[in-house]
Amino acid sequence: MSAVMYQVKIANTGTTISCRAGQTVLQASMAAGIDYPFACASGNCGVCISQLDAGKVSMLPRADATLSAEQIASGKTLACRALPRSDVEVTWLGRGRR
Amino acid sequence: MPEDTPISASAAGRKKACLAFLRQAHAVLDLEGSTPSALHALKLKLTRLAARTELFPKSDFAMPVAQARLHTLIAEPNDGLALHLLIGLPGKMSNPHAHSIWCVNAAISGRERNIMYRRTDDGSKPGYATVTKIGEVMVERGHGYAMGDHDIHSQEVVGKEPSYILALYGHAFDRFPSVVWYNTEFSSIRKLPSRRGLAAA
Repeated sequence: MSAVMYQVKIANTGTTISCRAGQTVLQASMAAGIDYPFACASGNCGVCISQLDAGKVSMLPRADATLSAEQIASGKTLACRALPRSDVEVTWLGRGRR
Repeated sequence: MPEDTPISASAAGRKKACLAFLRQAHAVLDLEGSTPSALHALKLKLTRLAARTELFPKSDFAMPVAQARLHTLIAEPNDGLALHLLIGLPGKMSNPHAHSIWCVNAAISGRERNIMYRRTDDGSKPGYATVTKIGEVMVERGHGYAMGDHDIHSQEVVGKEPSYILALYGHAFDRFPSVVWYNTEFSSIRKLPSRRGLAAA
């Protein structure tokens, strides 16, 4: 049985990496050696806020303050919480704090 | 809120009780500073406040839109104390971190597992850190947890019920000197600067 894999394109680096089902965008990026900005890696700080340019993700639990309804509506996500549900393209929006 | 909006009995009683608690907290801190014994004493006092569930009816506090929400009960100006009520839904977690300011907490209801860590690397490699578990506390009704300025801990809401936790911090969230995050999977350390500049902007 083959594991489900998605392709994740990181627009900032122009890199496309593989992401296992159940793996976050941040985890896949770190495993691929990409220096994705992050701090808490648990949905609390918002440093890894990113634009979901294409594709679908589901989100692991996070704190309300890290992502507003307006940000979600405009396609923002958190790389540390985002589980790809299709091939996706993302752009990280910050380096350091939000 | 309009001036003639009635204040509920629970809100009025809560404000009175929280202010009384803060007076007690200041009395302890003025005498001892934020020593481990002082923080232990504050934890016991906060646990007693949290036991007064009639002061914290769930209907007074909006649930998280996502999985965790912070309600500020009292935040003293500048670098004063701050008392928050934190609601976490089952599964909400945070990786190991240190607030750079002391904290005591106590559960009104629900269960939150706190794991304490000690840093084990020598700090010589930027961005790299390793931590090891040194203890565990379940914050649930009748129990609390005290941590010093640089104590490292992680949290996870366990069980099927949301956790309602009172948390007293040496400074309000937006006055934290910094927050240092550790990640055991990545062996990383990331220091976030204070939000004070943002709060003032």
